[in-house]
Amino acid sequence: MSWFATAVRTGARQMYASWPALVVSAFFYLVVVTAVTTLWRAGAAANDGHVAGYTATMLTWYLATSEASILGLSFRMIEEVGDDIASGSVATELLRPVSVLGIRIATEIGRAVARLSVLVPAGAALCLVTVGPPPHPAGLLLAVPAVLLALTTNMLLQHAVAGMSFWIRDARSGWFLYQKLVFILGGMLVPLEVLPAALRHVAEVLPFAAVAYVPARLASGHVEPELLAVQLGWSVVTGVVASLVFAAGERRLQVVGG
Amino acid sequence: MGANGLGIDVTGLSKTFVSGRRAKRRVVEAVRDISLQVEAGERLAYIGPNGAGKSTSIKILTGILHASAGDVRVLGLVPWKERRQLARRIGTLFGQRSQLWFELTPHQSFRMLAAIHRIDKADAAARVAELAELLDAGDLFDEPVRTLSLGQRMRCELAACMLHRPDILFLDEPTIGLDLLAKQLFRDLLVRVNEERGTTIFLTSHDVADVEQVAQRVVVVNHGSVIYDDSVAAMRRTLLATKIIDVGLLNGADALALEGVTVLKHTANGAKLVVDTTAQSVRHVLDVVLEVWPVSDISVVDPPLEDVIAEIYGAPRA
Repeated sequence: MSWFATAVRTGARQMYASWPALVVSAFFYLVVVTAVTTLWRAGAAANDGHVAGYTATMLTWYLATSEASILGLSFRMIEEVGDDIASGSVATELLRPVSVLGIRIATEIGRAVARLSVLVPAGAALCLVTVGPPPHPAGLLLAVPAVLLALTTNMLLQHAVAGMSFWIRDARSGWFLYQKLVFILGGMLVPLEVLPAALRHVAEVLPFAAVAYVPARLASGHVEPELLAVQLGWSVVTGVVASLVFAAGERRLQVVGG
Repeated sequence: MGANGLGIDVTGLSKTFVSGRRAKRRVVEAVRDISLQVEAGERLAYIGPNGAGKSTSIKILTGILHASAGDVRVLGLVPWKERRQLARRIGTLFGQRSQLWFELTPHQSFRMLAAIHRIDKADAAARVAELAELLDAGDLFDEPVRTLSLGQRMRCELAACMLHRPDILFLDEPTIGLDLLAKQLFRDLLVRVNEERGTTIFLTSHDVADVEQVAQRVVVVNHGSVIYDDSVAAMRRTLLATKIIDVGLLNGADALALEGVTVLKHTANGAKLVVDTTAQSVRHVLDVVLEVWPVSDISVVDPPLEDVIAEIYGAPRA
């Protein structure tokens, strides 16, 4: 699997070569986190210093982590992968003697690592300045593998959705819907505990919570290692689904053309 | 090569695409009953107008598409069934699709391609140095791909598809968009690669000059079928026996009467002449034109591919 490691490095090199884009994404991240955490801290202040069990400090670390988990990937990944499928670029990737999905995931991991190398220090600095150290260092340590698992699950899930382009040619509607589901049911903008009970139960059995809520909850001071097992489960499931979608899509491409 | 010594062995190849459903169902026969044998080390041009079935054929031969019918072997492998094994032994260059990473240098892309083809670091470095010399491109390999001109990028693309030393190079319109000098350089490189490495060249193009200057044999397809298959020398004698001379004039000029020359158009600003090269040399016509007419600009071009194909349809069948 040396090609996988080389593809990860190539993805990271690509991102560092486009460093102005990295700077812009870090700026965008800081603006969003500042705006959202300010709102939530005001909400906590108006509610005896906490919201659904989260203090202002916990909420700040929660949102900095959830936003980093999402913005670590290209925001328009479904659209980009879908366009590559529809335009025939993926067809020419079949000419490489390795898995099309594998090489795409490897380069995306590299890009994500490069983005995180900028977002994580920026987010940590913002949290330290505004609310001080994390509520529980052990939770923050657990959040490190959780962020990586979140990114992996997220990119696999997005590839599975984008793979619909092998049949329907346009993944834009899928991207729009996915984005909204991650915002709300993934816990990116609000901790799941804030949602009404029925909606929260729905969110807990869907994979979206694994891509934002889990690492954010751990970073906000909840030492719950069992959440990593949930994430690992979802990363395996989404990996199998994405592989099946791409394998079926490639077979279709070989019959009907691209 | 395959067990029979052939690089490509195709018998009765057909490909149909079905679109729409029920009443709107439409069946398109993109390739019809094509049979083709290509020897290892041959340089073959596979040409035809848009929609003739060239790209569909090349996609089947490289394993991107399934055939609907027929027996296809490339280096002894069935392309769509043994796609990954075949990918290790063929190189592909699609003129409008890049296999290089735009933000990176070609060198960095080669590292990635070497890993994909399981070439170790030292061997990859040696191969890149060899290719830099063969393609006269060493100084380009350290520039970011996005800063290269199209001609420079195509040289790097050629290096990328040759890194794993393929037995066959499939090139789909590789000279598209290149200027005249870059086209000429690229054609020379393909011939050099074939002569020095023995790599089989399978080239599709719209440009008659690509055929004349690169290929030894030409196969013309139209409406999905092979309509001509012969050596380029034979094609030159029978179908490419004309050249077109475009002349720009400073001011009006007298009529020109030369054996083997047909004046298609003659105005105060310019003229278009068709030279039958079996009756008159292009060189002689140019000498006469430059001597008797006040020429501001002059160029010699091949007849368009569509005219060559019309000529094939008009010629008596063998």
